[in-house]
Amino acid sequence: MLAIAEYVVRGALSGAIYALLAVPMSLMFVTVRTIDFAVGAYALIAAAVCWSVGGALGLAAGLGAAMACAAFMAIIFLALKRLGCEDHIIYALASFGLATALASLVLWWWGTQAFVRDAFSDPWSVGGIRLAPQGVINFALILLLVGALHLLIQHTSLGRMMRAAAANQTGAALASIPVQGIQVGTYLAGGLLGGLAGLLVLYSAGLDFTAPLGLTLSGFGAAIIFGIGSPLRGFFGGLAMGIAQALAAGYASAMVAGMVPFLFVLLVLTTSRFGEEALAGGRP
Amino acid sequence: MSFPGQRYLGPRPNTLIIAVCVLVALPVVLTRPVWTDSAVVLGVYALLGLSVGISYGQAGILTMSQGAFAAIGGYAAAILTTRFGWPPYADLLVAMALPAALAYGVARLVTRLSPLATALATLALGSVIEILIRNADALTGGYIGLAGIPSVGAINTPAGYACLAWGMIVVTVFLYENLMCSAYGRALNVLRVDQARARADGIDVPALMSAGFAVSAAVAGAAGWLYAHYISFLSPESLDTHISISALLMAVIGGAGYILGPIVGTLLFDGLTRLMPAAELQGFFYGAALIIILLAARTGILGLLAGLARRLRRPDATPAPRAANLSPQESLP
Repeated sequence: MLAIAEYVVRGALSGAIYALLAVPMSLMFVTVRTIDFAVGAYALIAAAVCWSVGGALGLAAGLGAAMACAAFMAIIFLALKRLGCEDHIIYALASFGLATALASLVLWWWGTQAFVRDAFSDPWSVGGIRLAPQGVINFALILLLVGALHLLIQHTSLGRMMRAAAANQTGAALASIPVQGIQVGTYLAGGLLGGLAGLLVLYSAGLDFTAPLGLTLSGFGAAIIFGIGSPLRGFFGGLAMGIAQALAAGYASAMVAGMVPFLFVLLVLTTSRFGEEALAGGRP
Repeated sequence: MSFPGQRYLGPRPNTLIIAVCVLVALPVVLTRPVWTDSAVVLGVYALLGLSVGISYGQAGILTMSQGAFAAIGGYAAAILTTRFGWPPYADLLVAMALPAALAYGVARLVTRLSPLATALATLALGSVIEILIRNADALTGGYIGLAGIPSVGAINTPAGYACLAWGMIVVTVFLYENLMCSAYGRALNVLRVDQARARADGIDVPALMSAGFAVSAAVAGAAGWLYAHYISFLSPESLDTHISISALLMAVIGGAGYILGPIVGTLLFDGLTRLMPAAELQGFFYGAALIIILLAARTGILGLLAGLARRLRRPDATPAPRAANLSPQESLP
């Protein structure tokens, strides 16, 4: 029984990272109706820069680097829009190109090494369950962040503008809501949150240049499990995915645990009606 | 002026172009061993690129699992020939049928979704296949891989494989062009541009999209089959997600909607990056090229060339609507 409890708690702690990655995914999907494939790459850049610089300055530099990359993606998005591109899959493809380029840059500059740092050496023991202190800090931080974001979206005028822009772009633009500004802001938020996720991964499990695509896909999986509409659902989706992964690692095998995020994505996509409205009446 | 086979190739300009190019270039390439080896590997990539062209350029499914389909084809060939003693060539059928069946099944479940969701499903599918291959030690040899895959019949020199690879490409282009000239090809183009219209025209959208994806997976499987027999060794790293991504990027850069676009993209980019010093930066060049091409010409290099040619021919005319199978997204309203 204690084993199950340990798996669940540990899974929830590691799932918090997926929850954090799910937030930019759901924000992006709701406001721009696309996916920023580069979110995982922002995480990698942030981790790599922070690992090199070190200390508190490293944290800031990592976040700054991730934000700069996201700003670049926002410029590409704006340029595509200015050129008359309204195809959401093209935005996604461009972010995919950026993700590939960033991962390759990291490989070239830092090589194949893994980026990992340990802030704590001894695990905490709570009621017989051993916990990694960094995991607890990650969880608390992410819970706080998602809670704050939820309040921002639901109870401030900025949040109301975001929801309006998401629900009806033309209508929002007619009501003088800066739709394009909100979309650019969403890309930047993706950089910030992706970068933060990268820093937290750096101090817990670590990552290397192959991580970005997996991180992006995990974030997306977490975002869609309970519906992509809100960051709060994404948070619980991330926890569910982490717990499923920990249980799979404990009771099945490492192979199944590695497949959990992808199986989640496949399962949800094949059984849900996700994005079906785009097909029913969606004309280009 | 007439030439032999004009009746069949005349209305098939792409097949004619690729056949002539291969016939002219191959004798030159075969004079140097390094070029011959590159020609085979490029042939495998070009086949993968063609499979992306069928899937993304024609059926509108942004696929990120072609490497995994190729791996299935390659492993099917490797296992059937090394373990069960199947004669080479016979395994080609299985190497194409297995990925096609899998692709059809998955596509039937996900093609009713938005194109973005379908793309993610293919990425997830590719990742799952990769993990399964890595861990199915008894069947695939796990991380160690499978060695000693026999050569294809009498073909056992790099020159022979180069001829086989590019012969396969000419045949694939011919069949692909045939498909796009048929009612099925036209239906694929309609549904890529406007699914509601396709339904109104009586097209069974999910079935046709899935069939298109299955054909694309079969071509990828054939690429894997060729790769396995040529290299004679297969490991999980041989045909992984990295290959899927490269194939997708090269196809989009060359012009996924044009039949020869993926081949142009493959030759140009793989050829160029082979000349570059740092192999680690390959992804950077691909990514940067993709972004530039999306900004400069969303229809790829061939789209850009076609646009230029049209402008040269009729400087002041507005672009006329063209047949959908020749010109993809640019003819959209």
